[in-house]
Amino acid sequence: MAETLIHADAARITRDTPVGFELLGLKKKATIQLMGSRVWGRFNPNHWDPVYAAETGLLAPIQTGEMSSAYLSEMCVHALGPAMFRNARISCKYVASTYANEVIFTHGKVVEKTPKGEGYRFRIDIWAQNEAGEMKTVGFVEADVGV
Amino acid sequence: MTDIRTDALRPMTPLQIRQERDFIESLKEECQTYWDMVQVGDVLSRDLTITPDVVIHFADAVEDFNPWYEGWRMNTWRIPGESPFGGAIVPPLMMSHFVLSVQFDHTKPFAIGSIHTFHDTELLEPIPVGASVTIAARAVDKYEKRGRRYVRHEVTVTDTANGTLYMRELRDILSL
Repeated sequence: MAETLIHADAARITRDTPVGFELLGLKKKATIQLMGSRVWGRFNPNHWDPVYAAETGLLAPIQTGEMSSAYLSEMCVHALGPAMFRNARISCKYVASTYANEVIFTHGKVVEKTPKGEGYRFRIDIWAQNEAGEMKTVGFVEADVGV
Repeated sequence: MTDIRTDALRPMTPLQIRQERDFIESLKEECQTYWDMVQVGDVLSRDLTITPDVVIHFADAVEDFNPWYEGWRMNTWRIPGESPFGGAIVPPLMMSHFVLSVQFDHTKPFAIGSIHTFHDTELLEPIPVGASVTIAARAVDKYEKRGRRYVRHEVTVTDTANGTLYMRELRDILSL
């Protein structure tokens, strides 16, 4: 079955976007090569070494929470564009570990829009979960659109 | 003893496995728990010049290929980049990740057993690629919740040259 490609502009939140609008999500795999890359420090082997992770009681190496936050913020940049970079807020709580090789889906839903200036301040619930629907990260974003 | 293999998740030769085990062994050193390492009121601060290369390094590690972050491109190398703010900018939460290098005193052994559990981040202004920033982290609370110990920090990221406040954050670390 052919996939439908959606241009980013079509998914952008505007003044007219209603409460209930669902953001276009992203899909990422917790790839061990990326989890073990130098940018994450390589000082905690729980993030990339299966042996060390097992010795500390983990099922597998776990991603750093920042990777999950980065996935969620990438989704929000698609939805909010420049509004994600000025006077925005993003809050994330890591409620469960993301294990190597899990596939993570990001989600977002507009839950509130408050008049501000010429536009609105949007509040968007965001979350990341695995293929089984288990919640990994939950939070929210606030951003000014058209203000 | 575990039957989990070093190469269980990625292919390795015996040489690579030996190198990996040697590296992990080298990380083992006496360290304090994060709870003991930090006292409320402690302030740590470091400066960082956000080079185009380190931005690419971060963005690639989360497979975010937004061209707004590109102040470096293969073949051309350093470029001014393009974004709605002019030149290339830094991904929204890249600086939040670098806070780890400040709130964990980098002159001491890493506090094994600590886990980042929460952040609440205000993104106040876009950060241009190439900016030098001062990352400051102040320990504001240590608390216990459901038998677990947490250390809370307040963080600011400001432009070292002109004082622009780019980011403010609250973040929690769970400690052994």
